[in-house]
Amino acid sequence: MSANALQEIDFPRYQRWLNRTVGAEAAFMVFDKAGTPLWGKDTPQATELGLAIAAAGKDAAGQHRHDLDAKTALYQALGSTNNGQLGWLAVMTDHFGEQDAPVYIDQLAETMDDLAAGISDEYSYKDDLEMMTEELGERYEELHLVYAIDQHSQIQVEQNDKVFQSLLQSTTEHLTVDVVAFVKPSSEICQYAASLSKEISNLDLVLVEMRGDLFRFIQSSGETLTLNDADDPRRAYIFTDMPYKVLACPIRSNGKIDSMAVLLNHAHKPDFTNGDRKLAEVLANQLSNLGNTYLLMQSMAEFNQQMAKSLIEAVEAKDPYTRGHSERVHFISMEIGRAMGLPANELDDLFWGSLLHDVGKIGIPDSVLCKPGRLTPDEHTFIKVHPERSYEILRHIKHLERAVLGARHHQEMYDGKGYPHGLKGEHIPLHGRIIAVPDTYDSITSSRAYRAGRSHEVAMKEIERVSGTQLDPAIVQVFRELVAAEPEWLQRFNIRREKV
Amino acid sequence: MKRILIVDDEPHITRVLKLYLERAGYAVDAAQNGQAALTDILKSAPDALMTDIQMPVMTGKQLCLALEEQLPQRTFPIFVMTSMTDREHREWTQQINNLEFLEKPLSMRAMTRALDKHFGTAATDGGASHVS
Repeated sequence: MSANALQEIDFPRYQRWLNRTVGAEAAFMVFDKAGTPLWGKDTPQATELGLAIAAAGKDAAGQHRHDLDAKTALYQALGSTNNGQLGWLAVMTDHFGEQDAPVYIDQLAETMDDLAAGISDEYSYKDDLEMMTEELGERYEELHLVYAIDQHSQIQVEQNDKVFQSLLQSTTEHLTVDVVAFVKPSSEICQYAASLSKEISNLDLVLVEMRGDLFRFIQSSGETLTLNDADDPRRAYIFTDMPYKVLACPIRSNGKIDSMAVLLNHAHKPDFTNGDRKLAEVLANQLSNLGNTYLLMQSMAEFNQQMAKSLIEAVEAKDPYTRGHSERVHFISMEIGRAMGLPANELDDLFWGSLLHDVGKIGIPDSVLCKPGRLTPDEHTFIKVHPERSYEILRHIKHLERAVLGARHHQEMYDGKGYPHGLKGEHIPLHGRIIAVPDTYDSITSSRAYRAGRSHEVAMKEIERVSGTQLDPAIVQVFRELVAAEPEWLQRFNIRREKV
Repeated sequence: MKRILIVDDEPHITRVLKLYLERAGYAVDAAQNGQAALTDILKSAPDALMTDIQMPVMTGKQLCLALEEQLPQRTFPIFVMTSMTDREHREWTQQINNLEFLEKPLSMRAMTRALDKHFGTAATDGGASHVS
């Protein structure tokens, strides 16, 4: 409460109380600690009394007496142990010399005691209430932020990196700060969002400084740092040149500080408060949780890809000439899938289906797989089994449930003459039809034991020839448009070209 | 000084809003339900109205609709306080102009920002802005 919060007290009520007890002519006055009148009749006498009381410097305990001309003032301190002394309560009376004075004065003194206690209590309650209200307001703020963070985290897990970004962005708006950054030097992460109230021309440089000295400072102190003053001596240790208000919170993972959340404000913004500090710490904790989840998911994804890569290597080790085939077919399949505008979950299935489409070849004897010449009908049967083998190997992996369809059916032909099931047209799963196109393309353009890889032009001619019989014309169309744009991978995959 | 009328039946909310709005330089009056607010507004229009929805006697929705009918020329904005998940109210409020949402639990910063923005006293300091 402000210094003169005593003024908010309902004094007229206490005045009525006094009048009912000791008589209509009694009037009290309230002064602040310095003796300035706060309530009561504003007379020169009152002003004089206030100054006299303050000058007397009496003890806060008990009642005191001050004689003023023909009158006498009784006064005592207002306040409590918790709030300290708030001011003075005084009553002036001219009954001191009268005959029945002792009875009246006793009554007045007792009533004053009650009044002082009542006023002090009311002040105390008001003060408590205001503090609780303020605290409640800050809790609302905190809850609001936590709810907002919660809403952000509910976005699909696949978009985890976007969650991070949108969370930072919404925090800049929520806390009205210029920059919010998440800094993790060990992983070279420095992600930030800005809602600038004024331009920061060298933001990149500022971020670099954060990663260095500021982070080391936070790491060694282990505490949240608030730098508001431009001439705070700690700045010398942290920045060479950063004229901003800084709030930085350490973020712990497994008990060690490995990252931090930083809030920056231009100097013209108000200082960071304790409330900001608390909110920043809430944010830091949430970022830490999200960050851990994100890293866990990243390492899981990495693990999956490495497992897949090992599988593919096992296949390709059998025939050095097919090295890179799975990767290339996978890459081109994804290009086609994206060009067709497949939704994210389908692209994920296509990702794995195209990458692992030849895994079944692991079951084909090397003598067949690497045979330079023509295959006998029996040997050809071996080859024909591989898509079904791929399916059998991969079907145990629940995540690949739908992805295996592409692998299983990439050797079907559009006219129904393919294998393993002889499916026709639209009955062939879409991913099978997609994978078939780059599979054909790559088998023509890559080298074999018995021949060199043929040119892009030859491959395209062949693909056009079998479009509608072996391949889905709609997908051939997508592929045709893709390569017409001369994508960079034509060179990267070392595909031979014919001079036109 | 701009006068804000708060309508909410929960005294703890009203108290918090009043404290922070007064600190931001606004004059604040409070009403406990839509009916009391309507009476107050018809007597003297505030510069902004902030209302809860769920209230006894007269709800925030009824209050807004009554204002549409009785004060079609209204110029002061209405801020409806509603929970973040409560999207059903976005429907009936569409026909009411000059109406904004404030999400509960209410952020005092967001609230003062919204008001300062409305009154064109662009605050750069969130919770503690001063309006003369």
